[in-house]
Parts: sequence; C-alpha cells; structure tokens
Amino acid sequence: MLKVQNISRRFGPMFALADITFTARRGEILGLIGPNGAGKTTLLEILSGMLSADGGSVLWEGSLLPALRRKQVMFYLPEAVTPYPDRRAIDVLALFAQLFGQPDDRLAAAIEDLALSPILPTRVGALSKGYRRRLLLALGLLAPQPLIMIDEPFDGLDLKQTREVTGVLRRLCGADRTLLLSIHQLSDAERLCDRFVLVSGGSVRGEGNLEDLRARTGGGHVSLEEVFLALT
Amino acid sequence: MPSPEIRPRGGPLFVLVPKEWRDTLAGHTIWVLLLLLSALVGYSYTQAVSLYGEASKSAQQLPEVARSLSPLDGVFVPTFGALYLANTFLFPFIAIRTIASEKQTGSLKLLLQLPCSLSTVVAAKLFVLLAVWLIVAVPCLSAVALWSLSGGHVGWAEVANLFLGHLLYAAVVVGVALLAAALAESSATAAILTLAATLAFWVLDFAAAGEGGVLKNLSNLSLTTLLRGFEQGVFSSTAALGALIAGALLVSIAGIWVDLRITLARKLLTSSLAVVLAVGVAAGVAIHPLYVDTTQDARNSFALADAATLASLDKPLQVLVRLAPEDPRYIDFERKVLSKLRRSVRHIVVTPQSETRSGLFENSDSYGVVLYRYDGKQAESRSTGEGEVLPLIYGLAGIERKAVPDRDPYPGYPLQARTDLAQVWFYALLPLLIVAGWALAQRQPMVWPSPASQAITSRIRTRRPFHGG
Repeated sequence: MLKVQNISRRFGPMFALADITFTARRGEILGLIGPNGAGKTTLLEILSGMLSADGGSVLWEGSLLPALRRKQVMFYLPEAVTPYPDRRAIDVLALFAQLFGQPDDRLAAAIEDLALSPILPTRVGALSKGYRRRLLLALGLLAPQPLIMIDEPFDGLDLKQTREVTGVLRRLCGADRTLLLSIHQLSDAERLCDRFVLVSGGSVRGEGNLEDLRARTGGGHVSLEEVFLALT
Repeated sequence: MPSPEIRPRGGPLFVLVPKEWRDTLAGHTIWVLLLLLSALVGYSYTQAVSLYGEASKSAQQLPEVARSLSPLDGVFVPTFGALYLANTFLFPFIAIRTIASEKQTGSLKLLLQLPCSLSTVVAAKLFVLLAVWLIVAVPCLSAVALWSLSGGHVGWAEVANLFLGHLLYAAVVVGVALLAAALAESSATAAILTLAATLAFWVLDFAAAGEGGVLKNLSNLSLTTLLRGFEQGVFSSTAALGALIAGALLVSIAGIWVDLRITLARKLLTSSLAVVLAVGVAAGVAIHPLYVDTTQDARNSFALADAATLASLDKPLQVLVRLAPEDPRYIDFERKVLSKLRRSVRHIVVTPQSETRSGLFENSDSYGVVLYRYDGKQAESRSTGEGEVLPLIYGLAGIERKAVPDRDPYPGYPLQARTDLAQVWFYALLPLLIVAGWALAQRQPMVWPSPASQAITSRIRTRRPFHGG
C-alpha cells in the first residue's frame, strides 16, 4: 500500500535520515521503532509532507505521491501539539469532526473510546499531558484517511491508559485502515504492532514481524528489545 | 489510489469561518483594542468638535469664515485619526494572532492536513479579519452618527471615501502582519517586523519631504501617502487598486511561506512570480487612472469648465518648476495647481528644479520661474495661482475655455455642538457594551454544535471517567 524508497534528509552536515526504505501493508499496525533521536519524527514529517526530503520517494498503491497530495491518504498526528489551547476540548473535537464530515455518532464514539467525557468542558491548554495525548488520538479516530501516522501515541500515558489506548488503536486498525506508529518504548511496540521497522542513527536496521527479526538475530524466543539491541 | 470522502458538510468555509470568528472573539486582543479605541475616538471627537465650535463662533459674523468650515477637515479626519493609530499599532496584533498562534501550538500541522486547500483556510481568516475590522470601526462610525444627531452636516461621499481610505490602509497593514507572522517564529518577532515596516513608511515620508526623484516616487507608494489622499477627499483608482493589489500580494506570499509542505526554493520562486504578476497588474491599472473629488467644497478640482477644457488637451504638457521643494511657494503651487493639473490633464510631466531644498539661498534670477511647454510652444510665469496659470496654458494650447455651468458655491457648515452625549457614549456606554461582548464571547463554543452534538455532550458529561488524566 505505502512504499517508502530511499528517503534521505540532512540538517547541515549531519545526516538525519539515510536511504530509508520500507513498506506498509493494508490493515496492519506498523511500528517505527527506535531510540530518541533516531530520526522517527523527521521521517513521519517527511512522509506527511510537512518536511521536504533531500532524496527518495513515497509511493501509494504503486504511484508516486507528491507532498501536497499526501493528506488525501494519510493523516499525521505530531507529538508536541496543543491544538487551540484556549478552546474547550469538545469545541476542538467538534471542529475536526465537522471538517472531516464525520457524523455525530462517530464523534461520540471517539469521545467514549478515549474516555474524554470528563474533560470535554475543559480548555485544551489546561489538560494534563495524558488527556492532551488522548484528545489528539481522538482526532486520529475522526480522520477518515486510510493511513494514520502517530508520533509516540503512548507518551504521557500510564500503564493502564496505555493498555486501553492499545485496544482502541487495535480496533481503529482494520481492513481499510493502516497505522504507522512511532514508538520508543519497545515493550509497548511489541504488544501492539504487527510488524516493525527498526531505525537507528537515521537508517533502517531491520524490517519485518518479530519472527522475521528474531530469525535475523539467530532465532530464539527473545524479546523485541533484545532483537533491537542485536540489530542496531 | 483510494480517495476517501472527507468533505465537510456545507463546505469547509462554513466550518472555518465560524471557527476563526469565535477564535478571534475568544482572544482578549480585540476587546482590549476596542476599549482603547473607544477612549481614543471619544477624546479625538470631543476635542475636534470643541475646536470646530470655537471656529464656528466667528463664522456667525463672517460668512467668509463659514465657507472655510468643513466637517471633513474639522471633525471627521481628526476623529478617524484614532482609527489610523489602531490600524497601525493595535490591529496588526489581531492579524498576527490568527497565524502565529496556530504555528506556535502546532495546530498548523493539523490544519494543513484538513480536506481543504490552504487558500481556503487563509480566505476564512481574511473574511473574519474584515468582519472584525468593521467592528473596530464602530466607534468611529458612531462618532459620525453622533455628529449627525447633534445637527452637524455629513457629506456622505467624503466620509465614505475617508472610511474607504482607512479600510485600504488596514488591508495593507493586515497583509504585512500576516506575512510577518508567516515568516517569524513567534508572535513577538512578527509584531516587531510589522511595526518596523509601518515605521519604515514614516521614515521614508520624512526623508522624502522636500526631496524629488526616486525618494519622492518611493514615498508616493507609502501607506501614509495613500491615506493622505483619501483624507484630502480624493478617490484615486490607482491608490485604491494599488492598495488592494499590495494587500493581496502580501497575503498570497504569507500563504506560500506558512505552508510547511513547500520547499524553500519553491517558496522563493512562487513569491517572486507573485511579485512580478502584482507589479504587472499594478502598472496596468495605473495606465488609466480615475480621480473623483468627493469633497463638498470641490477643493481638489478646478471649476467644471476648466476641468473640461484641460481634459481636452491631447498633447503632453511639460511644467518645469524652478522652486525648491521646501519653498512655501512650491508647496502652495503643488496644492492649488499642480495636484489638480495632474488629475485633469491626461499627459503631464512636472519637473522641479532647484539647487537647494529650502530655496533660502538661491541666487539665480530664474529662481521662482515656472516654465510651461505645450505643442512646441512655451511660456513662463512666476505665479502660483490658477487664475494666471490656466489662461497661460489655454493660450499655449490655443483653446477657449469651455462654457460649463459651475457648481453652487460651498456654504460651509459652522456648528457649535455639545459633546455631553458623546462623552457618555464613548467613556461609559460603549465600554460597557464592549465588556459585555467580551464576557459573552468567552462563553461561546468554537463551532456551532448541532443538536445531536449537544446531546452527546450532555450524555457523556454524566459518565464516570475511567482513569485520571
């Protein structure tokens, strides 16, 4: 469905990304795994078209997808965003629901899925980090594009909330919806993702499901963390 | 490629305009501006009416003094001066906020992914800024109403022209502010850039005062020069369309630079093309300028017969003025004759010529002479009054003054009006209304929720939270 080919990006003399290549399949949850500073956010910004690449291409269903047309098929939820901090959470959710042409029951479902009801009358700027994150995830639930990219979906959530959101994301993903998640917590990624793209130092160190990656490290029932350490 | 149906009901503008409207009103800037402006307009109006009343006292005995009393100069221009200050120093903050806040909070990244073009987003912002500006103009418009209520004469054409001048001025300032917000990383930097740009026009005007050549031509493009023409009661199609083109250009470039998806090289290229296009269109509209003297005393026009006669001159008229630009005679000549000639004669070239700026130490015998050339003939005169100049031009052209019935003489409108009601309005009632509007705006949702959305809100408010935040 999505094919990323040889994406490169430099900031001054430093390579942030070097020849990044991977694919995302329809209906899967693909984890972009790597430590802080690995280039995951830069890659997502490039894929969404917010940042230009120095080289490489993005293909959708086999056709080249220019930056200005990416929003037709993908929706990117950045990490450090506080949309309309002076407005109430319900206003922001209703705004995006209207702009995406979503019916009211879809808005209600998103609110219920992410348990946002207690904070609906609260100003977005006054929300805790966890609620702010869940508000953004609700915007992702409202987005109708077939590919949703989320930068650090579990950032700011405690263990129980992470498990709840994992369930929501699993339900969000389906035959017509693919998720590309940037995650630095390997245990969260292992629990949720179908396949992984391991990124370190701006380049891809491995791609596949956990079994594929284990095979590359010599087999054995090891965790994603150990696989990651072995491959990077 | 699958193309999901992501079109908002009624079109994106139907969602974005109410959102921008409520977002702007929810901010405090607009209300602070209105409160300040209420006091400013109130002070300007009461001072102007008071001075106008004093001048009107002597007009009761002297009809000649009465004829010089025009509410445009005496009341409206000083009162609208408060709007000029607001447009220059306060309104840019509202314009900057519409872009800068979305950049700073990261909302822009979400907006760029909405199922509508960036131009639609910018159009919604512009539409709302225009509506907000009309609210900002309410104190000034209420001053016109108060003047009328107190028995004052209102020349609607000249007031409408003055209002248009301030609107066009605001349009360019908004363009500058939006561009600054698009380029700068923070609101503070954008505000500094905007103020620097408007202050640069002041510096340019100051530097060009008494100068000719390039500096003078540049100052003719300044915002203050634009507004001055409208304040003098002249509607100029070149000035009006030029301001609109400049505003549109600035907003277009702001739209280009705020788009994170466009590369730097493409931004530079597209902006350059926009500038070239705008300059071309501006040059096009300047070819056939249209001037309308909206003042009731027709101070910016020759008598109708002279205007008709001068309009029939089909060859270039050259005027060489041997006077220093700061010489009072030159200033008088410019105001009473040259500016009118420029608007009446289709082909005219005026060339000032002097050794010094002030003319105080000019020793040449030819200093003070004005040379007129038309159709190979020339004549000279030291007069700076139209009574001598026009017959001289007619003589060169070999034409008779056309017989056209002239306007009725301007009677003047002296009035000693009271300002008690105005003081109550500007210092008490209007501020109270503004504060009430401020409080009301804080309670409004960002979008109009449908009945179903309200039902959702009330239903889900009653549910127990499943976790803490």
